[in-house]
Amino acid sequence: MIDTLVRRKGTQDRRDGQEPARTRSVPAAPLALALTVALLAALTAAVSWGSTSVPAHEMWSVVWRRLSGEAPRPGTDDLIVWQLRLPRALLAALVGAGLGVVGTAMQALVRNPLADPYFLGISNGASLGAVAAIVLGLGTGGALGLGLSGAAFAGALATFALVWAVARRRGGFAPLRLVLAGVAIGQFLSGFTSYLVLQAGDEQQTHSVLFWLMGSLSGASWPLLAAPAVAVPVTLLWLQARARALNALIMGDETASGLGVDATRLRRELFTLTSLLTGVLVAVSGAIAFVALMVPHACRLVVGGDHRRLLPVSALFGALLLVVVDIVCRTAMDTQELPVGVVTSLIGAPALLYLLDRRLGSGS
Amino acid sequence: MRIEIENLHVAYAGRTVVSGAGLIAADGEITGLVGPNGSGKSTLLRTVYRHLKPVAGRVLLAGTDLRRLSPVEAARHVAALPQERGGDFELTVREVVAMGRTPYKRAFAGEDAADRDVVARALADVGMEGHTGRRFTELSGGERQRVLLARAFAQEPDVLVLDEPTNHLDIRHQVELLALLRAGRRTTLVSLHDLNAAASVCDRLHVLHDGHVVASGPPREVLRPALLAEVFGVRATVVDHPLTGDPLIAFDHRAPADGAGIPLSAPGDVLGAGPGRSLR
Repeated sequence: MIDTLVRRKGTQDRRDGQEPARTRSVPAAPLALALTVALLAALTAAVSWGSTSVPAHEMWSVVWRRLSGEAPRPGTDDLIVWQLRLPRALLAALVGAGLGVVGTAMQALVRNPLADPYFLGISNGASLGAVAAIVLGLGTGGALGLGLSGAAFAGALATFALVWAVARRRGGFAPLRLVLAGVAIGQFLSGFTSYLVLQAGDEQQTHSVLFWLMGSLSGASWPLLAAPAVAVPVTLLWLQARARALNALIMGDETASGLGVDATRLRRELFTLTSLLTGVLVAVSGAIAFVALMVPHACRLVVGGDHRRLLPVSALFGALLLVVVDIVCRTAMDTQELPVGVVTSLIGAPALLYLLDRRLGSGS
Repeated sequence: MRIEIENLHVAYAGRTVVSGAGLIAADGEITGLVGPNGSGKSTLLRTVYRHLKPVAGRVLLAGTDLRRLSPVEAARHVAALPQERGGDFELTVREVVAMGRTPYKRAFAGEDAADRDVVARALADVGMEGHTGRRFTELSGGERQRVLLARAFAQEPDVLVLDEPTNHLDIRHQVELLALLRAGRRTTLVSLHDLNAAASVCDRLHVLHDGHVVASGPPREVLRPALLAEVFGVRATVVDHPLTGDPLIAFDHRAPADGAGIPLSAPGDVLGAGPGRSLR
């Protein structure tokens, strides 16, 4: 008994000066509900606020008319709400949710809580595809047309095939080998992209290329929403069905095997799925930095590492974050719009440093 | 349930590591696997918990080839405690233990009362019930192993497979962990580095050397000086433990068995002989 007390005390001493032992006190269901309400509020704000503000009730009446099939009231409100801001707000929510989900899955795939879907070179491939399309004149004007997205997705698919071929060893993907192959191929492709940017014919082209590379939601339109509107929920459901297997996977492949989970197969499926979703997200919004890294990380601090809770909470928080960030991007400066990737980098980099510091400080 | 391993050949990283191993882990007994580094202990165990697929030979669980079961079915019978430690993913002690329920749950299924019961019992069995909300990665080595053992218990297995469970633990935590294994009275297959621990805890021992089982039997029959010299390359004598009566292996830590000109001498000679004498 005394020994036990002494041992307990020793454990306590080691933790002195750090946070006390935490019990996860935030239940996931109420948190998810709160996030959903916040997301709806943020979406309302995103559609109402801007250079011309539309009162919330006006906005909802426009949406209601459209949804119920009534003829839209002619005027600028309908144009602003239905054609411009609503698709953009929804795109922000979908892309944010997708980044949260794909980040969570990628971190389990390579068993590294600081991994990012852009590790695997997929986004570099998508960027190369998109930039090639712009510079070679395949894109439609300055906006992110569907042709541009198609080129980006094609680039993502080609890169996925390449990384797959290079990283595959004995039918599976060892996490480290996958990351090394992805980073190397990604750098290789981004060299090409830089070369193409230098070859861009005029300033307008260079500008649209840079804007796209930094990640932007300004190309939003209803047709552009279709791919993420399918890909994000499908991926989330697929992952949610395997949430327990993901928990086993982060403990190690042998642990997974012992629990009846085929780690090799699961990792193969995860790699395919995260690559496809990353391709879709980058194709519609460019490579938005840090969201996929930060969102799962932040959510883990609140609800813990169990993927059954982490996946839906990451999706909701990612959606909320990107909708809010996009409001900032549209309204922060009077004269021009900020690319959303600039703002996520400005928020994400210090947040990452904080998390790294916390991780190293905890001695684990 | 009893495990029989028949003529097992396993290749790992392109190299044949286990070649023709055969052994039996009897029902309710603790069966120990000992052998020098690289002798194939981990590889053999990985085949039992189905992480590796044998090139030839079979692992039988109560007479049924394990490979004929689905991974999930196999995991309901055989639970593993591998050597890996996992990444830092903010999992709590309870979440790690609850993972043991994985082979019993369908997609999307939540935890029911029975699951919570099993998890609580597993935590209590290893004495970690007061630590459920702590982060797994901030535990000490001994606590961590106990939590992983609880996860294996939560799997409600018939057979426990443990790969060097006492590695990196201080002596007290080693003793605690091995006591937990003895208390379980499950069919247990465990690899151990510490031959004295193996001699005390295991009902039967199998000695692996270069992928072959070179000796099997009760510890006292297996752990003889000649075998220790040949397989482990050490000079040792085996005496009775003054406290427990178990076989106690006293090693000569000064020179290996194949050291030039050092004769294998009688037990009484061991301490006095060897090149280190002038230092005393």
